[in-house]
Amino acid sequence: MKLITIVTFLPLLGAVALFLHGVFWASRGTSGEKLDEQYRWITIFFTVLTFVVSLLILPGFDSSIAAPQMVEKHDWITSFGVQYFVGIDGISIWLVLLTTFLMPLSVIASWHVTKRVREYMIFMLVLETGMLGVFVSFDMFLFYLFFEITLIPMYFLIGVWGGERRIYAAIKFFIYTVVGSLLMLIAIIAIYLYNGGMSFDIVEITNNIATGRTVIPGGVKFWLWMAFALAFFIKVPLWPLHTWLPDAHVEAPTAGSIILAGVLLKMGTYGLMRFNLPFFPDISREMAPWVMAFAVIGIIYGALVAMVQPDMKKLVAYSSVSHLGFVVLGIFAFTETAMQGALYQMLNHGISTGALFMCVGMIYERRHTRQIEDFGGVATPMPNFSTMFMIISLSSLGLPLLNGFIGEFLILIGTFSSDVPYAKMFAVLGATGVILSAVYLLWMLQRVMFGRVTRRENAELEDITLREKFGLIPLVAMAIIMGVIPMMFLRSTEKSVNSVREIVVGKLERVAVTIQKD
Amino acid sequence: MQLENLGLYYWAIAPEIIVSVVAVIIMMVDAFSARGARKLNAGIALVGLVATLISVIMLERLGTGSYFSGMVVIDPIRIFFSVTILLAAIVATLMASQFLKDEGLPPGEFFSLLLFATAGMLLLAAAGDLVTVFLGLEIASITSYVLAGYRRYDLRSNESSLKYFLLGSFSTAFLLYGMALTYGATGSTNIQKITSAIASGQVTYPALLLVGAGMMMVGFGFKIASAPFHLWTPDVYEGAPTIVTGFMGAGPKAAVFAAFLRVFAVGFGPQDSPIGVQLHSGWVTSLAVIAALTMTIGNVIALSQKNIKRLLAYSSIAHAGYALVGFLTGDFAPVAFYMLAYSLMTLGAFAVIQLLARAGDQRTEIAEYAGIGFEVPALSFPLAIFLLSLAGIPPTAGFMSKFYIFRSAWDMNPELRWLVLVAVINSIISVYYYLYPIVIMFFRPLVPGFIKPRIAGLTMVALILTVLGTFYLGILPNGLMNAMTKPVAVVSQITGR
Repeated sequence: MKLITIVTFLPLLGAVALFLHGVFWASRGTSGEKLDEQYRWITIFFTVLTFVVSLLILPGFDSSIAAPQMVEKHDWITSFGVQYFVGIDGISIWLVLLTTFLMPLSVIASWHVTKRVREYMIFMLVLETGMLGVFVSFDMFLFYLFFEITLIPMYFLIGVWGGERRIYAAIKFFIYTVVGSLLMLIAIIAIYLYNGGMSFDIVEITNNIATGRTVIPGGVKFWLWMAFALAFFIKVPLWPLHTWLPDAHVEAPTAGSIILAGVLLKMGTYGLMRFNLPFFPDISREMAPWVMAFAVIGIIYGALVAMVQPDMKKLVAYSSVSHLGFVVLGIFAFTETAMQGALYQMLNHGISTGALFMCVGMIYERRHTRQIEDFGGVATPMPNFSTMFMIISLSSLGLPLLNGFIGEFLILIGTFSSDVPYAKMFAVLGATGVILSAVYLLWMLQRVMFGRVTRRENAELEDITLREKFGLIPLVAMAIIMGVIPMMFLRSTEKSVNSVREIVVGKLERVAVTIQKD
Repeated sequence: MQLENLGLYYWAIAPEIIVSVVAVIIMMVDAFSARGARKLNAGIALVGLVATLISVIMLERLGTGSYFSGMVVIDPIRIFFSVTILLAAIVATLMASQFLKDEGLPPGEFFSLLLFATAGMLLLAAAGDLVTVFLGLEIASITSYVLAGYRRYDLRSNESSLKYFLLGSFSTAFLLYGMALTYGATGSTNIQKITSAIASGQVTYPALLLVGAGMMMVGFGFKIASAPFHLWTPDVYEGAPTIVTGFMGAGPKAAVFAAFLRVFAVGFGPQDSPIGVQLHSGWVTSLAVIAALTMTIGNVIALSQKNIKRLLAYSSIAHAGYALVGFLTGDFAPVAFYMLAYSLMTLGAFAVIQLLARAGDQRTEIAEYAGIGFEVPALSFPLAIFLLSLAGIPPTAGFMSKFYIFRSAWDMNPELRWLVLVAVINSIISVYYYLYPIVIMFFRPLVPGFIKPRIAGLTMVALILTVLGTFYLGILPNGLMNAMTKPVAVVSQITGR
């Protein structure tokens, strides 16, 4: 058992521990509230432990290798050729760390949950294992398994611990995702059979396709690309498949929103980079203008809809649609800069949007409303909170020296220099999204934070508590760190991103780009 | 003629013998013991079933081949389907003890009927001759009719039994007529001889064979509840005692699938002779249409069901459709794996429903499950797991078995890929109604008046077995799949050793 396996399954171990702890102590008559407190601490323990252990990946990671590292391979279902094949590469390393980093913070953010604490925490931990599994799997079958497993805990988190319309939101979330993933299952089976029907190994299939050993017939290729793309576009979500997202976000408990935005959506963009681009380079090239068009529509549409939202959480949810449009735009630009920027933007979005949801959650806990009009002048009673909310909003809208700026800047520059038809136009249109995001975020800040205190209830609001600081400060710190020293992150992703890019546009053009740079 | 040449080799039917003998023993014990020797009867039944299971596994050592003049065969189909049937019977026995106590029903007859039904199913799975198929089917069916009406003071149970009986007899007539026509065309009732007659083109009246095969397909279609012969299922499932419903959905269905496979996929397999080609393409095409219809009708009607037993009845129709997709690959392994997985999840689900419904099947409306999710987690979480497994969500048996079917179908027959797509679209539809009870159980507030059901020890064992089985097949199917796909030396001896 190697490091990656340990990181992936530690949370599951925690879930088992929670289950047994509850069974044992409840039968001994320990009071419910005391037990709930213990459940929370056990969960914190396991999520922090997972994060610490996952940090050990960093020293062992070699940035000069594009292929997966720290791999562990075992035969699993031999009659299908399914392997337990996990590892980590430049594309997944930071996503894994993002997941383990966000988890303890979301547990802190759900400290106030009093309904069925044990089950809540068990679902959170199972969810973590599922998400980590998605990012570390290098076997398509294993990937699919984890991809589906994440659904169930999230479904319960929304359905049981969510808001008013939680049932509608939970079912919508589940059905949308299942539609996509079942189509992907067919595509996985098809690719596996075209590859000889003996292996689901992603690395092997990627190589076979790149070297022409495995040929997918032309007519089928498009539909297989479509099946993968639909699954991931729904997850991202790309306009016009985004309608499940605002519902899910608004109804989910705060931690659910943080994880949904922070990690689950990244599974979509990650899948695009891992499957669509390397498996179908030519179709991806052909489809790039279309995808970029949809991404740009998403950027602008998400921003415009966010602007008119009266509900803060909905505003942040629509801003996600807009921001993830940038990520998709960057991925399909096929330039190193844009793709690196896209990967970076995935992390940024996880940090910033996660923090925004956390902030909205904090306000909601105090006032039990998220309507912007119910607030005003919150900065007076809550100065520390407002400062952090401010920093996070600025990072989300792309202020230089904060993380959002790096991602969006790289994507726009990279898209502008892309060879994809109409890329320059898309870059220009996408850039308006940056401006719009400044509009809706600053406008919200102004209405919520600044000015005089308009309502009496808001005058006595308690400032950020110690527990909340533990949740929010790490995110704010990360936003600043990632904005100041991006190379620390970008260096380790470079090789893997480039190898994907080379499969799509070929090595030759890479030379051309380098010359252009000089 | 010496007896040895007839292949009278009793070890080859050891499982059937053991089950029948144990069933007789239970009748005797029941006759001579004071009223209500429930635990004793259940114990004997369990021991007998486990012994039978062991004897089935030992069958493999005898090697594949036919015995009793080809009336009975030993092959992987028999072994794997027999295991499924016996597991279903064991789980049903475990649950029956509490059911009989709660309902105050006589235990002796129940267990002996259950075991006789099992004997019939085992024979059906072992049949190498159309006559044995018929014999096994009748033993299994007649006992099932009685079991369906076991709660004899309950009108719904009576209705269920009568409907099951009438439509079952009707379908048996089709089957028998089909067998007669096939015999007329090929001159034999032995499946191997029929196959060689078709292969060599020595068929007296080709049209007779085609009609005969068609009628048998109708007969089998009735028994596995495939559309358009499915109409009896919901009423029978709803009215029968829940535990019997679970058993009927698992055991007999698996047994009929075994016989169906042996007659069609093996017996009427692809041959070079003109009649062989015509027959094979004919049944493959019609079965593909039936499979698509079955899945779609089952799933679409299930969407509007408010009663959990009816919901699972329609789901069982849909699952017969998925299994038929695997059928068309001509390989028995995906179907056998599917039936095993399906039996475990559906039996588990019915076990929970039985406990929640309490005596007399009072609470079977899904709306009555509101909010019980966290009240009885020992029941609601297993039910959720079974439902998600039925919906095909990993890492459960339901996912793995569907994957196996889809993969084989996509791989082996390019002309049937449309059917795989239909199956996938159906899986998507099915997610919606499988989620419905979960939504009601976990996301809705509790309705007042809910009484926590008592869970007896044996019932708990049944639940744990089915939950573990569901995860085991979903996570570690390797051993079983390798055993199924292991190439077997096919010995085509008509006479035994």
